[in-house]
Amino acid sequence: MSLTRFLAIAGFVLAGLAVLAVEWAARRPDSRVPTVGDVAALVMRYDVSGIPVGRLAILSFWFWLGWHFLAR
Amino acid sequence: MEQRPELAVDPVRPWARAQVMLPVFVPFSLIGGLLPSFSLAANLYVLALGGGMMLAGMSSRLPRRAAPPTLLPGVAWWLVPIAVFVVVEVVTFALGSTHDYPTLSLLADPLLDGYLLRSLAYFGWLAGFWGLVRR
Repeated sequence: MSLTRFLAIAGFVLAGLAVLAVEWAARRPDSRVPTVGDVAALVMRYDVSGIPVGRLAILSFWFWLGWHFLAR
Repeated sequence: MEQRPELAVDPVRPWARAQVMLPVFVPFSLIGGLLPSFSLAANLYVLALGGGMMLAGMSSRLPRRAAPPTLLPGVAWWLVPIAVFVVVEVVTFALGSTHDYPTLSLLADPLLDGYLLRSLAYFGWLAGFWGLVRR
């Protein structure tokens, strides 16, 4: 395995571990860090002139993830 | 005892519980796992399944939890994993997404070729929807 490939994989693993670490910190009692669910909830409640822009954006991103990894 | 409005949670309808909905996703995941990437069948399946779920998610029929009124000040900590991911993904993409500079999707493709991991990925995708749609 080349060094650059190893560094790329390590970077993705590090990002994944960082997600777990922040979420773990957010779930501790009296934490000042919101959970990823709280962040998503606030974004999804964002409306512009009654149009649920935040909800549409988050669900569209979810749809794209499925299409990108499972279909294309 | 008075309940703070930001902590109020809508009563969960019996069919909307995770114990009920997650098993429903199992057969859909097992079917999806059979469809290979880049095939017409996989594209149509994801379009139909994801499109239908998006329509359901945009409707107001599904029960939603109460959203927090504001974000806690520590929200900036979420920028750490996002920044690490974006840097690695952008650099590898800019360098051609090759074997030596793989993007995440290039790394995921061989893993998702197997039936078990592919079915699990479908289940994770659908479970992720259920986690989001109630927000």
